[in-house]
Amino acid sequence: MSQEKKESIIEFLNVSKNYKDVQALREASFSIKQGDIFGYIGPNGAGKTTTLKILVGLISDYSGEVKINNEFIKNQSNFNQQIGYLPQDVGFQEWRTIDHALVTFGRLSGMSKEELHQRIPEVLELVGLLDARKRKIRHLSGGMQQKLKLAQALLHKPSILVLDEPMSGLDPTSRWQMKNIIRQLAQTNVTIVFSSHILEDVEGIATTIGIINNGVVVKIGDPLELQKELVGGNAVIAIGENLVNYADQIKALSVVADVTFPPSDPSQVTIVFKPDIVLDEGLILLMEFFSSNKIVIRNFNYLKPSLEQVYLKYVMEEPTK
Amino acid sequence: MNSLFLLLGDEFRGFVKSKIMIALWVGMPVLAIILHFIQPDTEGIPMTLFTGLFIASIGGLLGAVMLSTSLVNELNANVFDLFLIRPVKRWHILFAKYVAVFLCITLASILSFAAGLVVDAISIGVPAGPAILEVLESLAISLAAISISCVMGILIGILVKSVALAAILSIYLGQQLSVVAILPGIFLENIEPLPISLGIGVAVTIIVLFVEIFIFSKKQF
Repeated sequence: MSQEKKESIIEFLNVSKNYKDVQALREASFSIKQGDIFGYIGPNGAGKTTTLKILVGLISDYSGEVKINNEFIKNQSNFNQQIGYLPQDVGFQEWRTIDHALVTFGRLSGMSKEELHQRIPEVLELVGLLDARKRKIRHLSGGMQQKLKLAQALLHKPSILVLDEPMSGLDPTSRWQMKNIIRQLAQTNVTIVFSSHILEDVEGIATTIGIINNGVVVKIGDPLELQKELVGGNAVIAIGENLVNYADQIKALSVVADVTFPPSDPSQVTIVFKPDIVLDEGLILLMEFFSSNKIVIRNFNYLKPSLEQVYLKYVMEEPTK
Repeated sequence: MNSLFLLLGDEFRGFVKSKIMIALWVGMPVLAIILHFIQPDTEGIPMTLFTGLFIASIGGLLGAVMLSTSLVNELNANVFDLFLIRPVKRWHILFAKYVAVFLCITLASILSFAAGLVVDAISIGVPAGPAILEVLESLAISLAAISISCVMGILIGILVKSVALAAILSIYLGQQLSVVAILPGIFLENIEPLPISLGIGVAVTIIVLFVEIFIFSKKQF
């Protein structure tokens, strides 16, 4: 995949963080490539927000190292100018209007008044708040405040966008819009790191997934790879006519795959290829096998376990503190 | 340094938008006048003198409570997260708050004093020059005390988590500790109280500001 050629833009090297006697993050080591949409999932209190706050510089007393663009963030005075951050629990000073809040944050990010004059309508249009720009923040709904948080994060055109539970408090339409915005930004080569404890938020948009549980990053990987790993290899379900009657013949496939017959459905057989067999090669092999044995197959379905299964595997398996 | 001026302007704008300026700049002179006329024990005391006493008694309290409660409120709501993820120096946030509140109260004090002068001019005639100078001197000493109250308010604001507790501590400590700027003038003879009080006010303000900036710079958000 082209992703392999991309350079790591964010690197965590053995990062740990304690809050008194609680280990919020333990020896976290992972990297995120430029242009990735990194979905960071884990239960509440797993350490997601701590990780993101370290990344944006709000937490500095941690052990280990964090690099952005191959440079340690502790050595970069203004590394946060590359980052846009949508915090999970943050309040605005309520006397501000949307416009005024964005002017303040933009100016503090080093933008000129002229730049802001052009940029503010752009980001408000993108998040769907353009018509509300003169409204006071105290009069905004929770969902609108969430969109405002996104607008301030995008204002200075950061190359890295860190979103802590961005879909929190949004209605289904706004969630869909938020996912679309994330996809659009990723297409412009913005690297996006976003956390969620809701798998649906991550599924379908994350190009890389990190699973954290009890402060330990238990798994990092491409969603498809993680799903494949859960099954043990590429897997397909072959659907035919009373396949269970051909069980003895079909079991000959066991040299290249694990074969199981679901007891509930005699017309199906689940075939999990050995890890060294790629999907296309396996499918050709299957078609030749069934054809030569005169076993009629109507359909092959690629077996893809849900992200939930993957998540539960890693979260449930890991020992709790 | 640019962010310091931006934050300072932002604080002032916040005071205007949230009606704090009106409460201070209109409220304080009006309250001084009302209290002067309704309190029986102020009878015969010129309004300018009463205003000086009023500012000394209430100015520091206002500064300490304003700063401590707003800081606790904003820290609890993680308001500063959105500032600190930008190239903003932490000390700029605290210093802008201190300067904004101190200047607002200073201006409110000057307006109250001016209102006192006007009332006196109408009711008993313009006070004599030495009397005005005396009141101005006491006003300057009060401002030194108010400055100490303001930095104490900031210290309480960054150390305490509850708004109510911050308000109580500001009333207990913020106001009372500011007396250190006034005490030498009361207890020591043969000294000029004004330079001593101003010196103490500036020194304590700087020391406490340094301490709280150090604490704030180590704070994890």
